[in-house]
Amino acid sequence: MSNVAKRQTSGLDKVLRVALYVCLLAMAAVYLAPFIVMLLTSLKDVEEIRSGTLLSLPGSIDFSAWSKAWSGACTGSQCEGMAPYFMNSFKIVIPAVAISTLLGAINGYVISHWKFRGSDFFFAALLVGCFIPFQVILLPMARTLGWLGIANTTTGLVLVHVVYGVAFTTLFFRNFYQSIPGELIKAARLDGAGFFTIFYRIILPVSTPIIVVTVIWQFTQIWNDFLFGVAFSGFDTQPVTVALNNLVNTSFGGKEYNVDMAAAIIAALPTLLVYVLAGKYFVRGLTAGAVKG
Amino acid sequence: MANLVIENVKKRYGQTEILKGINISIEAGEFLILVGPSGCGKSTLMNSIAGLEDVSEGRILIDNNDVTYSSPKDRDIAMVFQSYALYPNMTVAQNISFGLEMRKVPKDEREAEVQRVADMLQIGHLLKRKPAQLSGGQRQRVAMGRALARRPKMYLFDEPLSNLDAKLRVEMRTEIKKLHQKLGTTIVYVTHDQIEAMTLADRIAVMKDGEVQQLGTPQEIYDNPTNLFVAGFMGSPAMNFVPAKVVEQNGAFALELQASKPTVVPFPDQESLKPYLGKEILLGLRPEMITEPQPHKEGAEFVVTADIDVEVTEPMGADTMVLTRISEAEVNCRCNPVYPTKAGETIAMMLDTSKAVAFDKDTGERIDR
Repeated sequence: MSNVAKRQTSGLDKVLRVALYVCLLAMAAVYLAPFIVMLLTSLKDVEEIRSGTLLSLPGSIDFSAWSKAWSGACTGSQCEGMAPYFMNSFKIVIPAVAISTLLGAINGYVISHWKFRGSDFFFAALLVGCFIPFQVILLPMARTLGWLGIANTTTGLVLVHVVYGVAFTTLFFRNFYQSIPGELIKAARLDGAGFFTIFYRIILPVSTPIIVVTVIWQFTQIWNDFLFGVAFSGFDTQPVTVALNNLVNTSFGGKEYNVDMAAAIIAALPTLLVYVLAGKYFVRGLTAGAVKG
Repeated sequence: MANLVIENVKKRYGQTEILKGINISIEAGEFLILVGPSGCGKSTLMNSIAGLEDVSEGRILIDNNDVTYSSPKDRDIAMVFQSYALYPNMTVAQNISFGLEMRKVPKDEREAEVQRVADMLQIGHLLKRKPAQLSGGQRQRVAMGRALARRPKMYLFDEPLSNLDAKLRVEMRTEIKKLHQKLGTTIVYVTHDQIEAMTLADRIAVMKDGEVQQLGTPQEIYDNPTNLFVAGFMGSPAMNFVPAKVVEQNGAFALELQASKPTVVPFPDQESLKPYLGKEILLGLRPEMITEPQPHKEGAEFVVTADIDVEVTEPMGADTMVLTRISEAEVNCRCNPVYPTKAGETIAMMLDTSKAVAFDKDTGERIDR
């Protein structure tokens, strides 16, 4: 069967292939352009920015804008740069991601494998939480935080993000756990394991893909959040997004675009890093459970 | 070893009744098979015995203890699932010892038990593997090993062989039977495969629509089915149901059939036919009751030779199945392969009605004996 071995590659095939790559490269360029502009601008000095074009390369690599953005730029009356707010964001994001992910996992486990009367309604009600616009709950949430005595605190922001995140994390985990056969839980119950033992020993060890997905999702959402941050944070608990806004809006004399750009990249760096490190799990996890096998 | 008593167990989901009053009682060490078509409630009953589902009414006793409201772990039973349900994150050894660990058995005892079970099932070389690295048959063995390790009072098997290929299924069937003979532990086994039911069981409960149609030994169920459903469900090929008219001949009741020509056959239980004189009943004939003429049976009571028209022949090696039509009904006959049978021909066959059964045409209930 030697005639099967070689497939004819005609000229047209080659042309189409080249066209495809050109297309893909053009798309990638469109998506990357803003980031490249940011990066280039952050490495130029103010004079160079004013005289050159957006895409002109910097004459010399100059990191002074970065160090200013990190520790010297003024955000309002304070001139400590992004560093303290960067830390604030971590203080909010780490507990909020951890708690909302854990709660979502337990919720999903209950809704998919320990159904109770009304559990489907409970799940539907939780789903509604995914569709409530953030703005709608600003006032009631402010009242609630005040009533709880945690207004303007990091704890308060963590609570807001956990409450808002649980709807999504529950949905993620429930859909994933739906594909775990119920017989597995039955077998464990007959073996003598209880609710939490089954969760800890059998369910969690197979949950890595969905945990990664949820953590990435929650991390990005909470890190990038501006509205809750600006509404519920105090003077010294502002997250990095709010600080970035203040930094860009505070100017003495000329606008320092290089510092603004460096600050913006700093603010985006953690989410970028999370995607680079765990991105392949993200796609894999999102499609897990969608197809059997 | 424990006996099992199921008393008037009912299970309802809202308005629908899944189990409609089940009564089954088996002795310690018996092998009970619950068999029936899908949706008959056999798996629900199994889950109720395991305690994985609550019953709506009735009682379940294991080893003379009322366990109706006990949690699964307190019933001291082990279950083998159709999907095997092996814990995917654990090795085979961990899978087998998990139940022991949950019962706080010390580590060295657990290891000894894993070794014992692994030797018994010949899975010693698999102990360090994860379930994903095992074949279907190996997973099946590990699932059984997990059940064996705890030495429970009773084993429950929920269609354990239906995910295996045909050859492996027969092998594992024998294996399970050997295991039961060796351990002598009470087993409740759910299947929809009537051959599994016949070969494995001490007693079979044939279920349909949430009711036990018949509870008996495999031979009882095969020879004396209580109604058309049981008769048609058990046996392969299934029992033939031939419409027959009750007539009086030479002072005895007999049955008139339409084979190639009209044929009258005798019937053992005379009394039962009396009320049906002149009416039609259904005569139940197993395929092996219609054979090639056998000289040693010639002239025996309840044996008649008649001509039939062959429609299809199916050589199976040991036998040849001959498909014909008697009184409009399709009928399977079991012939010796050396007997010349050919589609389209009319041949002589011997009908032995000494073990035939009769059913009411309308109710489907057995009318003789």
